[in-house]
Amino acid sequence: MARWGIASPAVLPVIAVVALATPAPLARVSQEAATTASPRNASYQINATLDPVKNEILATGRLNWRNITRNPVSALRFHLYWNAWRDSRSSWMREQALVRGRSLARRPAEDFGGIDVTVLATGGRNLVTNAKFIAPDDGNADDRTLLAVPLDTPIAAGESLELELGWTARIPRTFARTGRLGSYYFIAQWFPKIGVLTDGGWNAHQFHAATEFFSDFGGYDVTLTVPPGWTVGATGKLASTEAGNAGGTRHRFVQADVHDFAWTTGPDFVEHRERFEEPGLPPVEMRLLLQREHAGQESRHFRATRAALKYYGTWFGPYPYEQITIVDPVTVFNPASQGESTGGMEYPTLFTAGTRWWPSVEGTQPEAVTVHEAGHQFWYGLVATNEVENAWMDEGLNTYATARVMDQNEAFPNGFVATGRYFGGLAGWAYTDVRWSRGIDGNRLNAFRPMASYDAQSTPTWQYWPGSAGAITYNKTALWLATLERMIGWDATRAILGVHFKRGAYRHPTPEEFFAIAAEVYNKDLSWFFDAVYRASATFDYGVAQVTSESTPAGFIHTIVVRRYGDGVFPTPVRVTCGDTIRLLFWNGAERWKAFEVRDAAPVTKVEVDPDRVLMLDVNYTNNSWAAHPRTADAAGKWAMRWLTWVQEVLLTYAFFA
Amino acid sequence: MPSSPDRAVRTPVLGAFLEGWRRVLRAPALAAGVMGATFLFALPMAAVVHRSMATHLGSSLEAESAAAGWNAGWATEFDATATGLSRTFTFEILGFGATLATVSRFVDNEPLNPALAWAIAAYIALWVFMSGGILDRLARSRPVRAGAFFSACGTYFFRFLRLAVVTGAAYWSLFRWLHPFLFGTLYNRWTRDMTEERDAIALRAGLYLVFFLAMAFVNLVADFAKVRAVVEDRRSMLSALSSSLRFIRRRFFRTTGLYLLNLAGALIVARLWYASAPSATAAPWLALLVAQVYLLLRIWGRLAFMASETVFFQGELAHANYAAAPEPVWPESPAAEAMRKLTD
Repeated sequence: MARWGIASPAVLPVIAVVALATPAPLARVSQEAATTASPRNASYQINATLDPVKNEILATGRLNWRNITRNPVSALRFHLYWNAWRDSRSSWMREQALVRGRSLARRPAEDFGGIDVTVLATGGRNLVTNAKFIAPDDGNADDRTLLAVPLDTPIAAGESLELELGWTARIPRTFARTGRLGSYYFIAQWFPKIGVLTDGGWNAHQFHAATEFFSDFGGYDVTLTVPPGWTVGATGKLASTEAGNAGGTRHRFVQADVHDFAWTTGPDFVEHRERFEEPGLPPVEMRLLLQREHAGQESRHFRATRAALKYYGTWFGPYPYEQITIVDPVTVFNPASQGESTGGMEYPTLFTAGTRWWPSVEGTQPEAVTVHEAGHQFWYGLVATNEVENAWMDEGLNTYATARVMDQNEAFPNGFVATGRYFGGLAGWAYTDVRWSRGIDGNRLNAFRPMASYDAQSTPTWQYWPGSAGAITYNKTALWLATLERMIGWDATRAILGVHFKRGAYRHPTPEEFFAIAAEVYNKDLSWFFDAVYRASATFDYGVAQVTSESTPAGFIHTIVVRRYGDGVFPTPVRVTCGDTIRLLFWNGAERWKAFEVRDAAPVTKVEVDPDRVLMLDVNYTNNSWAAHPRTADAAGKWAMRWLTWVQEVLLTYAFFA
Repeated sequence: MPSSPDRAVRTPVLGAFLEGWRRVLRAPALAAGVMGATFLFALPMAAVVHRSMATHLGSSLEAESAAAGWNAGWATEFDATATGLSRTFTFEILGFGATLATVSRFVDNEPLNPALAWAIAAYIALWVFMSGGILDRLARSRPVRAGAFFSACGTYFFRFLRLAVVTGAAYWSLFRWLHPFLFGTLYNRWTRDMTEERDAIALRAGLYLVFFLAMAFVNLVADFAKVRAVVEDRRSMLSALSSSLRFIRRRFFRTTGLYLLNLAGALIVARLWYASAPSATAAPWLALLVAQVYLLLRIWGRLAFMASETVFFQGELAHANYAAAPEPVWPESPAAEAMRKLTD
């Protein structure tokens, strides 16, 4: 049953008190520096040779792995991600088919790849013979992305294991930004990657269409042999380059405290270098490997990377590595034949951006993707949460932070506009009237809206519907973080993210740890908020349902009915303007509707639910307000006239050939 | 030895082009009529969209910013709930981008909003109807009354409808077979290992050119078939088509040159629109006015296309301002006839 609220100058001050509008003092949370080093319990030494004729990688290596849990373990688990692209029966391919149909499965056989492990040896015994593929997530017997390797002797807590590795990887035409296109190679998730052992057992999932990766930290010492003259970009720092035995060139990269290793090579990169320097932050060497045809766009890549390093560094914590490599991948302009997109992916100390030969000068690319992927270095790279179960902790936080960086006038003084791509997607056009906005575009409200209730965010990400996983992972998180920011302020939001970053670095923190930090920093219980936005799949939509007025000798009695159209609940103020008097009425937002009675000498001119648009998850903000004299006729008339001329032009265009 | 007529008379292409424009400029009622018909055809659709916008906005304060400029938040919320024609209301209706988007959708054969597709089909039928009157007026190059114009429209409507079935089938074949071959089979094959986007742009531009040439050829044949149908009062559209083909074959470079010259005119109009397309914040009536001037120029251009082809044909195989059929007269109603008899 709904309630009535009475609000008049006699019983309420001009501005009503809204509980959430009063920020609590931030708790004195320990601002300890980030841990400077990871547990380094999964370190690899790899020697790999690229055969660009056979499109194969032949590799050997050594894994040093330490059991950092409290329990012994009697079997290991390895991710063999490339087997997702061995055939069309893997779980990854099946899940893709749910959303995209069988187009990927119909790709030519030569487009597929895979990884065959030949050696997993310890103490002179090759364990491959007893290894078997397992499918703990979906029971798919045809999935070969997770390998269980029984051990002869259990490894006790704190003990280490040294494992010799040998494998052959057949490089696919690009799937999930990985693979080859022409003589461009981007090689990621390419080696037998050990899963993450927790006190509760292995946290190692099969490879799913809507999720990415999760792994432990270690040191990587990788030597890559590629054709002479080819440029190599990789995770870590280039330690040496020398001529190899079979005519190739050997490039050795070394990096500690990372949880993955990716690399790229090809003959067509043009290399640029700049140095990031910002007071209070450590300097970083920025290395850009730009496609030759994108010459002239280096400043856009560097400026965006610089902005990410500066703002993320200042807001959350410094980037700890000495270098960062920006890879401008070959553009996939025709996915129907070339393969899947190559752009926009993060790896430790290296990421792919993505631009076009004909980019719009005022468009958001390559800046948005560059800031976003550089920003991943902080969440995915350092905090390294479980992207298979809680992808929002990386993608969502990063989407929110990306939008905030993009909104920094100092970094991007000209701002951005909407762009359209035409003629097979090859020509870009900037719509300069449609300015990019952080709240709507940056947090991706429009993409979220149609999928708002598809999955509760607390569902493990790999169980999301693949078609809406992005909306729930990236967009919903960004929107609720923006809501949180508008609710508790930027300082408090930044403090929460900053503490999460500092405490979480190298540790794989869980969602509950994040929520606990939020409550601790804000010094108030926020569980109701996270229940609403994280643990439920509710849609939020508040609105003004009706406004009526009764004239009396003493003035007007205004009756204002506000309504909760969605199933999500969020306390929200209602602002009522009568002449010069503004009242802010509190509504807990729980009832399906609520009627307020307002007495005033003046007629009511405006009513606004959530007037400051705190609730960024509200999928329909148009119905949040009411005006006594709306400009509806002006607006509808203006845009109907515009549409009229547009449709006339469309008619003339199609009738040209009549 | 007598020479063949087409050897005896060689109509200069530029002359036909200029004379075409002259005839169109001397028939302002024609351009105004087509403009008015297009406007009135689109107006009810705009009214539908207007009503949906007004309903969606209700009494919202969002109307304030929507009235001032592009309110992206409201526009996308509107799009999320819109149905039918209203679904086409996106930022891609703005400025010169809208022109690019429309042309791009056409040449890339992208699916149309179903309601819009029906509207286009109906508008094409209207063009088919008007074409007879337009060509008759342009061929005679002298003012005719509205009655005569519509009489000509009626006279040629069913002939042009039959012609439209044939040319429509030709266009359909191009989109059904040639387009997927060019932009599916060939484009996919040739871009499979392509790593430079500018190569793809060059390739696609070439494929667009091939497709355009095919479209333009059908268009040219259909245009001259209509011209011959009107100037020579042909009733068989198949014979008009074959005569048109013969006519073009014997004067291939000059007819295509004339087509390209007209096309250049259209590109000049597009360039003017690029420079003058109003912004989202422009005053609504000013924006409407500027856009209507642009549309009027486009209509002029299309009429000049038809006029110059008519002039060219008359110059080659007939003589200036010739039309075989007598000037159409709007039939009197029985009541009018009865009254005239009374007065007689």
